[in-house]
Amino acid sequence: MNFVEIRDLCFVYFSARTAVFDHLTFSMKKGEIVGILGESGSGKSTLLRLIAGLEMPTEGKIRINDRLVVDDKTFIPPEQRGVGMVFQDYALFPHLTVARNIEFGLHRLSRAERKARVREMIELVQLGGLEDRYPHELSGGQQQRVAVARALAPKPELLLMDEPFSNLDAALKASIREELRAILKKAGITCLFVSHDEQDVEAICDRAIRIKELVPADRG
Amino acid sequence: MGGSIKKAGFLLLTLLLALSVLAGCGAGSGSDGGSQSQSGISAAAGGGQSATGGDSGGSAGKEQVVNVYSARHYDVDAKLYEQFEQETGIKVNVIEGSANELIERIKREGESTEADLFITVDGGILSTAKKEGILQPVESAVIDSRVPERYRDPDNHWIGLLTRARIIAYSKDRVRPEELSTYEDLASEKWKGKVLVRSSTHLYNQSLVASLIAIEGEQKVEEWAKGIVANMARDPEGGDRDQAKAVVAGIGDVAIMNSYYVGHLSRSADPEERKVFEQIGVFFPNQQTTGTHINISGAGLVKHSKNKENAVKLIEFLTGKEAQTLLSAENFEFPVNSEAELPELLKSWGEFKAQEANWAALGEYNQLAVQIMNKAGWK
Amino acid sequence: MHQAGLRRSLKRNLNFWLILSIVAAAIVLLPLLAIFVSVFDEPNENWAHIREYMMLDYVLESVWLVLFTGTGTILLGASLAWLVAAYDFPLKSFFRWALMLPLAVPPYIAAFTYAAMLSYTGVVQKTLRSWGIVPNPKWFDIMSMPGAVFIFTLYLYPYVYMITRAFLERQSGSYVENARLLGRSPLSVFSSVVLPLSRPALAAGVALVAFEVLSDYGVANYYGIQTFTVAIFKTWFGMYDLDSATRLAAWFMTGIVAVIVLERLLRRNRRYSATTGRVSPLKAARLKGVSAWLAALYCGAVLVLAFALPVWQLVVWAGWTVKDVAATANFARLAVNTVKAAAMATLLIMILSVIVANTVRTIKHTLGIVLAKTLTVGYSIPGAIIAVGVLGLMTGLDRWLAPLYRALGLGQSPLVLSMSLAMLITAYVIRFIATGYNAVEAGYEKIGTKFTESSRILGLGMTRTFFKVELPLIRGSVIGGTILTFVEIVKELPLTMLLRPFNFDTLATKAYQYASDERIFQAAFPSLAVIAVGMVSILVFHQLGKRVES
Repeated sequence: MNFVEIRDLCFVYFSARTAVFDHLTFSMKKGEIVGILGESGSGKSTLLRLIAGLEMPTEGKIRINDRLVVDDKTFIPPEQRGVGMVFQDYALFPHLTVARNIEFGLHRLSRAERKARVREMIELVQLGGLEDRYPHELSGGQQQRVAVARALAPKPELLLMDEPFSNLDAALKASIREELRAILKKAGITCLFVSHDEQDVEAICDRAIRIKELVPADRG
Repeated sequence: MGGSIKKAGFLLLTLLLALSVLAGCGAGSGSDGGSQSQSGISAAAGGGQSATGGDSGGSAGKEQVVNVYSARHYDVDAKLYEQFEQETGIKVNVIEGSANELIERIKREGESTEADLFITVDGGILSTAKKEGILQPVESAVIDSRVPERYRDPDNHWIGLLTRARIIAYSKDRVRPEELSTYEDLASEKWKGKVLVRSSTHLYNQSLVASLIAIEGEQKVEEWAKGIVANMARDPEGGDRDQAKAVVAGIGDVAIMNSYYVGHLSRSADPEERKVFEQIGVFFPNQQTTGTHINISGAGLVKHSKNKENAVKLIEFLTGKEAQTLLSAENFEFPVNSEAELPELLKSWGEFKAQEANWAALGEYNQLAVQIMNKAGWK
Repeated sequence: MHQAGLRRSLKRNLNFWLILSIVAAAIVLLPLLAIFVSVFDEPNENWAHIREYMMLDYVLESVWLVLFTGTGTILLGASLAWLVAAYDFPLKSFFRWALMLPLAVPPYIAAFTYAAMLSYTGVVQKTLRSWGIVPNPKWFDIMSMPGAVFIFTLYLYPYVYMITRAFLERQSGSYVENARLLGRSPLSVFSSVVLPLSRPALAAGVALVAFEVLSDYGVANYYGIQTFTVAIFKTWFGMYDLDSATRLAAWFMTGIVAVIVLERLLRRNRRYSATTGRVSPLKAARLKGVSAWLAALYCGAVLVLAFALPVWQLVVWAGWTVKDVAATANFARLAVNTVKAAAMATLLIMILSVIVANTVRTIKHTLGIVLAKTLTVGYSIPGAIIAVGVLGLMTGLDRWLAPLYRALGLGQSPLVLSMSLAMLITAYVIRFIATGYNAVEAGYEKIGTKFTESSRILGLGMTRTFFKVELPLIRGSVIGGTILTFVEIVKELPLTMLLRPFNFDTLATKAYQYASDERIFQAAFPSLAVIAVGMVSILVFHQLGKRVES
């Protein structure tokens, strides 16, 4: 049973003529960490945005955990999809502390539960002692960890990551890659990872695909 | 999504509620947001304050009031209202506005109006108010004895308080009074490039022209207007006082202006303006013919007044010798009460022949006057 | 395929935000439509009179006024912007922001102040006479077309100055340095490089100037210029002919729309944008000796003429009349009214601006752009036209709602909405929502979409995201926009004069009324109050600008 299923996904920018992709088909199993490789402009970020609900496809279907999330008649808005996302530049809320950032998606839990979960996440990404700092006071690596913690806190069904390492230097990258894989496996999260860097993908993912391969040969 | 809709509905309701409260506020009273009643039957509490800024206490209850809707804005009026209050204990609430605004409002309020008196300048406006059916006769022997018939509406719907004349101010250096005679004469060749007068948009000029139409007919007045325009020293600009200043400055030799402004110049806080006063002479035109044009300020008793007695008392006060003397002294208008004392300046002008009173004509011919002036190019 | 996209997009976004945005746009459009509809009624005979004798004058005088003022503001504004952007000279950093001060003085206040100062009994001629010089008074005749152009140029140049200066400082560096290296004299650099280069900035500034001039009533009326706005007033109040006034408004609006469309068409052929991404800051060159002092003198002269002189004169007059005017409760009431109306309108404007700006950035569809443009069209429409339209709409509404009023016991056919404070505030909203909207839009642009998107993914809907994420982050822009909008409303004259409820005066209308009643000295106190409020906005501008640059 496929945990994530994408079928015949088409997308065109409102002002453009050529499709970003045409009848893209793709699926994932639960607990898998899959990497998608592609050049910049090949539509990898757009794919993530479509899955997250930030864009609407012109055609096609997406199912997550056997729930139809978008098709010709359906569109579930992003706040109800149960998907988590780490943006390329992290997008941490500058006016909130680390703790409050992480806590952000936990509004459905009780106060006690929230506190517990935040503590759990901080331990998971090893950010102890930094709870009351503001994002601009943290290093790049620390910010990335907050972003991951924030996305994981609400226990999403699917985690999307958009070029999470592009803002880090080589040395940091190597160590973080290992940590991230460990965290994801430990939490059992299904993760879709997008990058232009083959090494990143190889180090973390269970399998890697080129985005071109997802589109039928006679189109795209 | 559900929570969003709920919030949406709530916010929308609040907005609508706020708007309706605003509308209610506005309809009830435009002045202070004190009373937020929904209909025009707001107690005079919200209806306005007297010019001295007393608290806007309500009329509900035993306090005696009279509500004045006034289109006159002179400081001396406020002083008199205060005096009236002190003497009689009746509180005077004043609402200011432009004349047609006030008439419109009184009409609209109909039976529930707060207004007791409608006070304004210009006979045309007073007769229009009567025509619109918002006034009622004033019955007071006292008033009738003090105010001559020609200064009252034929049916006593309004009582005149003061008059002003539209005189010719001339340069004492360059013009001898013998050269002046009539308004009509000002359109003749000899005054080419020497005549100063304000814009045709002002009511004072419109009423002057209207009065001339009543006497001489449309055709003659059209020619006269063209003559005046041809004689203008410059395109109309500024108010009456500016015309006097232009005479002294040498831009023109004669100016058509209202008599009371001359008085104000004589007593201005600005010493330069007092100097201007000293250099102009005052001439009352048409003494040998139809008389100088005068206009009148008056008070009308509102048809659905709720404080009729108090209103009549106020008119009696304003037409009494003391008030008339004060009004004349402060504002340099001519009192209607012949027993009042004139200020020195007005005494020095002596008696003069005024146009025969035809206040209705001022209103009737106003639009025609404007059209004639437009056609003549009187800016 | 795009049709389906739109329908889907709408379905997805059709919520409270979108609905309210469409309602807001409708509120702005309806009064304007109401004016056009009235053209189909039978004109009355007064209209024929107006058409034959007055119309041409109105068109000509409006056009001349705009043309001459436009030219004047370009020359003055561009030269000052250039001076301040390209050179260093004594007191330059002071002048840089101080040259905005004339914006704090509404042109109509400057108009009657100058007229009085230059009059026969005014300070200028009086002083000359005391020195034994008897000047020809015709030289001081300011109440004319040249006088009006002088006033408008002196008090509206900051629009051109502000936009051009920002442009030059940020983006002209390489062009100017090249020209300098090639040995061009400063004057030739200005005329052959700077002016043509700044065309889009100049155009934007002059457009704002033109809208102000067309909307003005105070200056034109006081100086006897027959513009369209003055004509609408005269016809409405002077001739009691609201129908003809509405017709005038329709013609006026057609003219303006035609010009706007023409300008858009012309602009489409040149791909200019006043704010293309390309950043090329200009380094100021140090002026020495005589030229340095001349530059300072030029700036100083402008400031003295435009700000110091009239304000000082007003202060003197205020001193003479402070007892009669300030001390009375009337003044307090004026201030309260002014603040009350402006605050309510500003609140409504900011709420609507935020709603529409948010909707527009979410929808990502042309509909969004249409909504935004509709909303901001009010700024280009003169206040008198908006007044006529709103009154027509409200009167119609009142008639339609008459049965409801009767049921509520409000009388036979009362006019509840028309002539109420709500009507005035509606008109303010239509006229000034552009100010608030532009500020909010800029704020949103600065934060981009990523925070909103993060919040949505983390499970918060549009409304909660707004309160928890967007509002805190755009707070600065919202506050700035609030202050700017508030000040604009306080300064406003024509619309307020036409639509104010009974017995409701603002500082602006009272000041003008005193001046029109030939009681200039009494006008000083409320005038200074308005100017003081205006100065607050200059300070806000200054602060916002500093924060942008740092």
